[in-house]
Amino acid sequence: MTPRVKRLFIAVIIVQIVFLLGIVGYRESILALGRTAVLQTVPVDPRDLFKGEHVILRYEISTLGNRIESGSKRYFVRGQFNEGDTVYVSITNVDEHEISYDVQTGGPSDRTDIFIKGKVTSNKDNVITVEYGIEQYFVPEGRGLEIEQADDVKVRVKINRSGVAAIEELIVDGEVWKP
Amino acid sequence: MSTSFLLQERNLEIRSTAPWHFRNSDRVRFDQMTEQTPNNDSDQENIQTPSESPDVTEPAATTQDDPRQNWLKGRISQWRESGLISNEQSEAILKFEEVPETPFRLGMRFNRLIVVLSTLGAILIGAGIISFVAANWQGIPAIAKLALLIGGQTATYWVAYQLKFVRGFPKVGGALMFTGAAWFGANVFLVAQSYHLSTNNPDLMIWWFLGILPLAYLARSKAITVMAVGIFTIGISWKTAEIGQNTESAFMVMGSLLLIATALYATGMLHLRRNELKFHAGPYLVIGTLLAIGVTYVLTFDEVFRDSRQGSLQEFQALSGSYIAIGAIISAITIAAVIAAIRNTATSADATLVSKYGESGAIALVIAFGWFAAALPFDSSTPYVIAFNLLLVLLIFGTIVLGIVNKREALVNIGIVFFVIDLSTRYIELTVDMLDTSLAFVVGGILLLGVGYGMERARRKLLQQFGMTEAVNHDS
Repeated sequence: MTPRVKRLFIAVIIVQIVFLLGIVGYRESILALGRTAVLQTVPVDPRDLFKGEHVILRYEISTLGNRIESGSKRYFVRGQFNEGDTVYVSITNVDEHEISYDVQTGGPSDRTDIFIKGKVTSNKDNVITVEYGIEQYFVPEGRGLEIEQADDVKVRVKINRSGVAAIEELIVDGEVWKP
Repeated sequence: MSTSFLLQERNLEIRSTAPWHFRNSDRVRFDQMTEQTPNNDSDQENIQTPSESPDVTEPAATTQDDPRQNWLKGRISQWRESGLISNEQSEAILKFEEVPETPFRLGMRFNRLIVVLSTLGAILIGAGIISFVAANWQGIPAIAKLALLIGGQTATYWVAYQLKFVRGFPKVGGALMFTGAAWFGANVFLVAQSYHLSTNNPDLMIWWFLGILPLAYLARSKAITVMAVGIFTIGISWKTAEIGQNTESAFMVMGSLLLIATALYATGMLHLRRNELKFHAGPYLVIGTLLAIGVTYVLTFDEVFRDSRQGSLQEFQALSGSYIAIGAIISAITIAAVIAAIRNTATSADATLVSKYGESGAIALVIAFGWFAAALPFDSSTPYVIAFNLLLVLLIFGTIVLGIVNKREALVNIGIVFFVIDLSTRYIELTVDMLDTSLAFVVGGILLLGVGYGMERARRKLLQQFGMTEAVNHDS
């Protein structure tokens, strides 16, 4: 092995490690520095929800279109959405009583506190499905049922300045769920 | 001097047509005979030598019917007749070649055993560590988990490096290197899982592939090459399927997989062009062939073209702009690679049309069918079923013929396996409605055994005739 090959070899291994640490660092930075929002989940078909080692989470903001107003929450959906589009969901007045979501493409709304970025995965008959990268939560083997059978599941997320969200914890029936 | 030069040229050319057949040991001896050339091999060869040299002292067995020796004898008598070498030289070569034949061969077998044992050992260790981490996943604090995973990966590489390059245990070291590469992949997924990122994500496989591909070349490891190309193929197929998520674009996915298969094969052909890359060509050729034949096999079924909605094929999406763009780029690159690979190839006198243009013709055919599947020009399923059945038969026989012509046993075997699969499938399709099920199975079983027997005989005969041995010749 020539010195050049040896150096390249070590470089490749360092790149592998830096790549892994890069993911860790990025996600940790969102959790540490991001702003907090609590998102309401909606029940999913129970057959889909629990897949062994992780639960699938669907949020109120996962499906947009038909449901413009729901309880104390208001949705403002602006513009046309096509499959693959990036949508910005701006969350204003984040408290337990009054929340409004501004949904639009092209960038976050001006009157925003926090926004979360998602990708349109389908748009059929004006029902838009959006994914935010926080649709899976890994749980210890066998504990998924607790979440599946709960009446109310909220998710506390941290969102960074670019709108990338990371799950911090689950709030199941009003209490923080400990894995 | 001129004789020696010519012989060397000849030697290089033979090696280029039989890359899986010749071993390092053959090359060393040829090189001794023809004087060392400056570019004549990298240091990796020299590293292998110490571990192989003790094998020379292994007891010799009889070698009367060695097909490779027969082949050599045949070639030498041709060289003598054409005036390339003198009678004395031919005798000297034969004498030189006869003695060390068997020990090298035995050594090769022994090396394979070492590789198998140490790879199994390395896999067991890796599996043990990963299952330990998985079982205690919740109990271990996050930072310790990461330290364990990344530290373990680094330690594996370090030990592998020491064994392979410093302490002269290239086989065991190579096996551990393979474990390190697998461990990197496991880490990509485990880190993603730690942060609740979707692991149902083909990008992770692409990252894994990118991380280990350079290792395959730097460590000169065929096992890691196979892993990298395999992961790439799974990842890119998954990615393609994800882009065309809806059933409407199913045939565009199939079409693009055919294009990707040709790109892989062409990459393998390019590898064969360069002496130092030849070693890595096999996995590209084999996996490309498997993907092409596999996808074609899926498209031979009538049901595939009759969607569950029982609608006409028109309901499938017509060629989208992005498919045309990406497909055109892949096709163009593949064609350019094939042209580069076959351009200026030394054409020996006995080169047939098949050996010269067989591979490029097959690639062109598969590219055409890739576009055909995606474009769906007909409304009924019949033309597709006929066309893809035809393509499958062509690819199966083409693979066998090209495998024989280019002396690649793996391709011959793939062709034979798919021949049996295709035959059984068509048999079941035909008889399911006509015969009683149990009778169909019995008759089918007897037929298959008969075909298997015949093919086993034919295969041996073919391989022998073309001077190929049963064992796959490369280690690690």
